[in-house]
Amino acid sequence: MAPQRDIVILGAGHNGLVTAFYLAKAGHKPLVLERRAVVGGAAVTDEFVPGFKVSTLAHSAGPLLPEIAREMQLERHGLAMIEPAVRLFALSPDGRGLLLHSNTGDSVQQISRFSKKDSVKYVEFQEALARYGGLLRQLTMLTPPDIDKPSADDLWKYLKLGRNLRNFGKKDMMRIIRWGPMAVADLASEFFETELLRAAIAARGISGAALGPWSAGSTALLLLRAAADPHPAGAAAFPRGGMGALTQAMAAAALAAGAEIRTGAEVQSITIKNGAAAGVVLVGGEEIAAKLVISNADPRRTFLKLIDPVHLAPSFVVKMRNFRANGTVGKVNLALDALPSFTALQNFSTAQALSMNDGTAALSGRIHIGPDIDYLERAFDASKYGEFSRRPYLDVMIPSILDPSVAPQGKHVMSINAQFAPYRLKQGDWNLQREALGNAVVETLTEYAPDLPGKIIDGQVITPADLEDTYGLTGGHPYHGELTLDQLFITRPLIGSSDYRAPIHGLYLCGSGTHPGNGLTGASGYNAAREILKDLR
Amino acid sequence: MPTQYDAIVIGGGHNGLVNAAYLARAGRKVLVIEKRHVLGGAAVTEEIVPGFKFSVFSYVVSLLRPEIIRDLDLPRHGLEILPLDGTFTPMPNGDYLWRVNDHSKTRREIARHSKTDAEAYDEFGKEMVRMCRFVKPILGMVPPDPTSLDPRELKKLLFLGRRFQALDHEDRYNLVQLMTMGATDFLDQWFESDVLKATMSASGIIGTFLGVRSPGTAYVLLHHYMGEIDGAFRSWGFSRGGTGAISNAIGDAAREAGAEIRTEVQVVRILVKDGRAEGVVLDTGEEVRATVVSSSLDPNLTFLKLMDSSELPGEFLEEVRRFKYRGSSGKVNLALDGLPEFKSLPGAGRHLRGAMSISPSVEYMERAYDQAKYGEFSSRPYIDMVIPSLTDPSVAPPGKHVLSCFVQYAPYKLKPGLNWDDQRDAFGDAVINTISEHAPNLKDIIIGRQVLTPLDIERSIGLTEGNIFQGELSLEQLFFLRPVAGWARYRTPIRNLYMCGSATHPGGGIMGAPGRLAALEILKDKGTR
Repeated sequence: MAPQRDIVILGAGHNGLVTAFYLAKAGHKPLVLERRAVVGGAAVTDEFVPGFKVSTLAHSAGPLLPEIAREMQLERHGLAMIEPAVRLFALSPDGRGLLLHSNTGDSVQQISRFSKKDSVKYVEFQEALARYGGLLRQLTMLTPPDIDKPSADDLWKYLKLGRNLRNFGKKDMMRIIRWGPMAVADLASEFFETELLRAAIAARGISGAALGPWSAGSTALLLLRAAADPHPAGAAAFPRGGMGALTQAMAAAALAAGAEIRTGAEVQSITIKNGAAAGVVLVGGEEIAAKLVISNADPRRTFLKLIDPVHLAPSFVVKMRNFRANGTVGKVNLALDALPSFTALQNFSTAQALSMNDGTAALSGRIHIGPDIDYLERAFDASKYGEFSRRPYLDVMIPSILDPSVAPQGKHVMSINAQFAPYRLKQGDWNLQREALGNAVVETLTEYAPDLPGKIIDGQVITPADLEDTYGLTGGHPYHGELTLDQLFITRPLIGSSDYRAPIHGLYLCGSGTHPGNGLTGASGYNAAREILKDLR
Repeated sequence: MPTQYDAIVIGGGHNGLVNAAYLARAGRKVLVIEKRHVLGGAAVTEEIVPGFKFSVFSYVVSLLRPEIIRDLDLPRHGLEILPLDGTFTPMPNGDYLWRVNDHSKTRREIARHSKTDAEAYDEFGKEMVRMCRFVKPILGMVPPDPTSLDPRELKKLLFLGRRFQALDHEDRYNLVQLMTMGATDFLDQWFESDVLKATMSASGIIGTFLGVRSPGTAYVLLHHYMGEIDGAFRSWGFSRGGTGAISNAIGDAAREAGAEIRTEVQVVRILVKDGRAEGVVLDTGEEVRATVVSSSLDPNLTFLKLMDSSELPGEFLEEVRRFKYRGSSGKVNLALDGLPEFKSLPGAGRHLRGAMSISPSVEYMERAYDQAKYGEFSSRPYIDMVIPSLTDPSVAPPGKHVLSCFVQYAPYKLKPGLNWDDQRDAFGDAVINTISEHAPNLKDIIIGRQVLTPLDIERSIGLTEGNIFQGELSLEQLFFLRPVAGWARYRTPIRNLYMCGSATHPGGGIMGAPGRLAALEILKDKGTR
């Protein structure tokens, strides 16, 4: 008979590893099962062309909650973060470019080239995001309360949060309430008059989601991201060696704390006995018994694929089927012979204004393609009808500028998140459309860097279908579920199941499909571990 | 010496009249000032084509609060609501969907499109009634101030919290979804047939600049479910004599209670001294004094047009300026020589007596929205139409008919290079062409037409940017945020100046609730005699 395990965790994505670490640190011996040969889930580094390595999906990190980075001692386990001084370089088709730096003063100076008024408003906006983001950060670290019967503990924590909110004063309180359901396009135009800046800010409210800038609720997503990084342009930091370096360090930390990790171990089903989770069965038939089962897989996969529906209430199954998790993002990775020449940098006055020698500094953060709100909205429109955008919104990084380890000497890697690429296509399937998506992305970029096509050695297109097939993300959704108002906080994944506990005794969720679900922050895994440890006491 | 009034109500729309009627009934000396020759604002009946009486703007009624009908004894003043039975949705493939108040008929009809939808439709209706029961008292309450620690405010919040806790799990789940989701996404969870979802989600976009999938539209869907006639939820009707008859009935009730109503005279300024409203200046140059000034106009007109910005706090002004109107709909009224003949269901059947909705698919609705986002009217718009003359022959000559078409999307702001005065006819043509695709005889029977663009709505009845609800019904502009956070309780930073129009909670539609609630607040502040 196989030995009884305490705890089994399905999936060695970053949240699964965070949960494993905290459980191990508390003296348990969790076994993490990963179906792929590498740990990391969607946060891995892949050598997509010999000699060229790239972060498969997300190319800039959350950032990770500082307490997680500290407690897991990730630096000791080999993580080195690179923090470009430039956060975002937003490009306009007229050849201009707007640089947003990490440093406020530099950003203000750049914005004033477009509008004095906006450069003043930018500081106000940044301060507001920092204030609200700080408060929301506290919220992302709390377990959503049970609205059916909130516990005294819940009430206390939320009263505390309410008091912090109250300390902001009436104006800010009302503003937070008003902002949440707002369209991010409205928010951007309440502050700014420069279209390029509006679009660069608004993009943060739609990235990774099935929302356009005019969709109500997109501001909530922007605020959720501000909880992780209050900079108006968002994070641009990335690990040396690509995102895989982050999860490798996490895995090392989890192992050092006493967790065990098995790769190439795909779970076929979760075993339920007498109404409680009792272990898992692997593809191939191996059974692993456990007292607790924690799923880092997305909610739909967990409840609709890995569990026999007889163990769930029919109404729960219906609701889970309605959990929206159809992705809208594709990824294009390019191996380049040399850096392409961006028009915005050839423009002498711009280059001078940027006071740069070779212009590479401007390209070292994220490059934003989506010059106006209408452009972003049109890109979204296509996805509503099951088509990918012919002129997509692109979030581009060239990590090889600051991290030469990812490309052969003098050569470069370009990592492009392309939106919108809907999981469900009206015509054809993604295998037939893969190349067309890649072409649309390259054509779009060529409008800003005309010599790009000549520099491409090889490339890779990852479609939402690949995200599902290769990475196990149901619906190809990088966040395990749509980030709209009805699927956040107490409703993530479902009302009544937002406290990381599944409606089956001994089964937990720790992935991005739970609160807060805001990217590579580790917050879901961290919160889940806290709840599980509470139950284990 | 000029007359001193207790209250002056600016604007004789239905809310202004309700406000005046309640104040007059409490013994106040009230003057209503209406700039047009007819009372009613957006709820008017006018003979635009000789012999044909159009409900020019608002054309159906459902939300009018039963307590107002009762308190003001409106039936005695001539209010008569005639039932509007069902919604008929013709489809381009020659089929149709027809939902009527007859339960089993609707069920059979939906089953033609989907058997499971027919089952779900009943359940859905019951659930919506439960949701409405929850939301209804909120429509009748003055919004609480969530930032205040005043025990009275906390009590209201507690009341809401308790009511929420009293719901069962499923209801709570649905309520949270209704408050956050897009109409179509919400309906996706209940139904599978596209035409049913499209035509149902249409009520989620009315008066908003949102698409059927935009979060927040599920709430507007619920708002339109809230209608109640003779105790039946979700029933809509005509007022005999057109919607103007509703305004006239309320006007009569106000007059009977002692209110004075002056038409064809316009307020050009609200008199403010030391932060207090003291009366108004009319376009005749006349100054009229009153203890209270109650404006049923929208915030843009009230604060930015009738007052000097120096009289208002800067922060308040900023918030008033960012309040969103964005009219998105127009109206086409047609005088007809006969009845339209639908390809999918020929003949003058009962389907013509209800609403006819051009909303054949979700994609159709979304495409209509997409055009508007970029500053064009929808070339194939969503149209909601009624033929009131079939139910109420008094509005058209014998044998002739009125076709009243509500059209969305018609964005107030057109893209650069276009203006509504040049686009009006093309807009009217697009509407007629769209209907003609389903009822080809329409063009042959049109005797007269009136096309109202959002600009026309703004010009004629003063609704800023032509928004029929005096401000978008989007989540961030509802309840204690309507129209301005901190000023959602009918009061303003100017003492003795009140708001009583649709721009205040609970918003638009011929509901009368803002006018009534504002009156009750005014009476609270000014003591009862």
